[in-house]
Amino acid sequence: MAPLLQVERCTKRFGGLVANRDVSLVIEPGEIVGLIGPNGAGKTTLFSCISGSLHPDEGRIVLNGTDISRARPERVCRLGIARTWQVVRSFGRMTVLENVICGALRRSSRVGPARARALELLAFTGLGGKEDVVAAALTLADKKRLEITRALATSPRLLLLDEAMSGLTPFETTAAVELVRRIHAELGLAICVVEHVMEVVMPLSHRVVVLDHGEKLTEGPPAEVARDERVITAYLGDRYRGRA
Amino acid sequence: MAASSPPARAGRAQQVAWGLAILVALLYPLPFERSGQIYYETVGFLVLLNAMLGIGWNIIGGWAGQFDFGPSIFFAIGAYTAALLSIHSGWNAWIALVGAVVVAVVICAALTYPVTRLRGHYFAIATVAMWMIAQPIGATWRLINGSQGLFIPVAAGGSFVHGILTMEFPGRGKGLGFYYLSLLLFAATLAGARAIERSKWGFYFRAVRDDQDGAEAIGIDSRLYKVIARCLMAAIFAAGGTLYGFWALAVFPDQVLEVNWNILPMMAAVVGGLGRLWGPVLGAVVLIPISQLMTATLGSGPLAGRGIDLIIYGAVIMLIAGWRPNGLLSLPWAEWAARVRGRAPARSAKS
Repeated sequence: MAPLLQVERCTKRFGGLVANRDVSLVIEPGEIVGLIGPNGAGKTTLFSCISGSLHPDEGRIVLNGTDISRARPERVCRLGIARTWQVVRSFGRMTVLENVICGALRRSSRVGPARARALELLAFTGLGGKEDVVAAALTLADKKRLEITRALATSPRLLLLDEAMSGLTPFETTAAVELVRRIHAELGLAICVVEHVMEVVMPLSHRVVVLDHGEKLTEGPPAEVARDERVITAYLGDRYRGRA
Repeated sequence: MAASSPPARAGRAQQVAWGLAILVALLYPLPFERSGQIYYETVGFLVLLNAMLGIGWNIIGGWAGQFDFGPSIFFAIGAYTAALLSIHSGWNAWIALVGAVVVAVVICAALTYPVTRLRGHYFAIATVAMWMIAQPIGATWRLINGSQGLFIPVAAGGSFVHGILTMEFPGRGKGLGFYYLSLLLFAATLAGARAIERSKWGFYFRAVRDDQDGAEAIGIDSRLYKVIARCLMAAIFAAGGTLYGFWALAVFPDQVLEVNWNILPMMAAVVGGLGRLWGPVLGAVVLIPISQLMTATLGSGPLAGRGIDLIIYGAVIMLIAGWRPNGLLSLPWAEWAARVRGRAPARSAKS
């Protein structure tokens, strides 16, 4: 099967700083890929390049045979990639339901069907009963959940989750991991997660890609990556030595 | 939106309120027509005109969240286009109104698309700049007769119905006629805005307002929807400008590009309740009569010419803004309604 997403030798510079250098990455349909690395490794930059809010200086990003390297975010979304943000970007003055309707209007431009789809998805992601709450009044965990629901409402083929679990309590984190598993199992999407919490990424991902200083350090199944000497030195730290 | 009113029970109260409002709006000018106090009909006309413009401004400012400080250019474009079509081509006022709306929307789209790259304050500054550029153009352009302006001739004779159909009232009945014309356009604007608020556009405007990057990430072309929102405003301002031109029977640059056509609709929206359908309506109903009252009472007599009326008017606006920063619509109206009907005050969630 052809890959869903191909990132080919992407380079992104901010002035003298190289945030991504020659990064290549493939995501297959229905796969969960973990993207890890220390702070400043270029994970969010790579996400932004894929989702169209930034454009790579060199290299190509291809989604299903379409080059999206220069595409604007709204077009990338239309082509099937939805993302969430490290810092939540909910529509604060709208209700939870209205937030998700905005996403669902991507697929049906009539509000009636969009509302029905939004209600369905809110029940699926566990926000049922909070439809009429104004988004700004939600807890951080619920805001992140709302953002995932809104992204799902656009019917993506690839979901990019940028630290969807950071800042959550252990209990909330468990619930969020459970949600990602259910999204994968029931909707069959490909998912790419950027995450700092190793206990989340490792068991969740089919494959892990490690970035360091903007370059791809290695990639492979979680168990192998966690044993990789370079990864332990660059990122995981000594407490991971010998654990996997 | 009725988000602040307790549901179900408020249903009947709302119907009663609607009925009363429609009745008052329809009957308001009749006693003044009888007693010959045309002035009060004109106040009504100005309230409805500004309410209509306020609804238009609320689309770009309240829903799409882009503050437009120069909407009067579209008021002027509407007034001038309709006047030209009427004077030179002999078009009926209503068809001229449609022409004016089309011209304003096309110009608005062309002017707005480039500046939608700008966000927040910079967008606002760009709209002010457009207004500043429009002033010398209005004052010097030969086609529209520069600062001397255009005069719209009125054909003699004609019944009241004929007046409504042509916006021409040569004799009596002008105050009454323009009141009902403004009521008609106001009602159409309100109905249109209500439909838009509940449509895809209404959702997308508010999404762009609340978080532009978030909106783009779910496939919303933020620039396109800012242009659409401003074009809707431009259409409403052009219709209002047309009406105003036929009322004043003349179009001067100083008059149609006057700063009040920028400020009053915006103030009506903010004082009434920014981003809420009825906000600008309530704002206009409160602000315009106060301003007229101040001018009529303090603007004449021993204090005339010292601007006392404007000072007090400004103070009233500051008081309202300080007391209710979210607008008058945020007052607990539903609770009050319940109390008036003799029930225990409904402890609705504060809005």
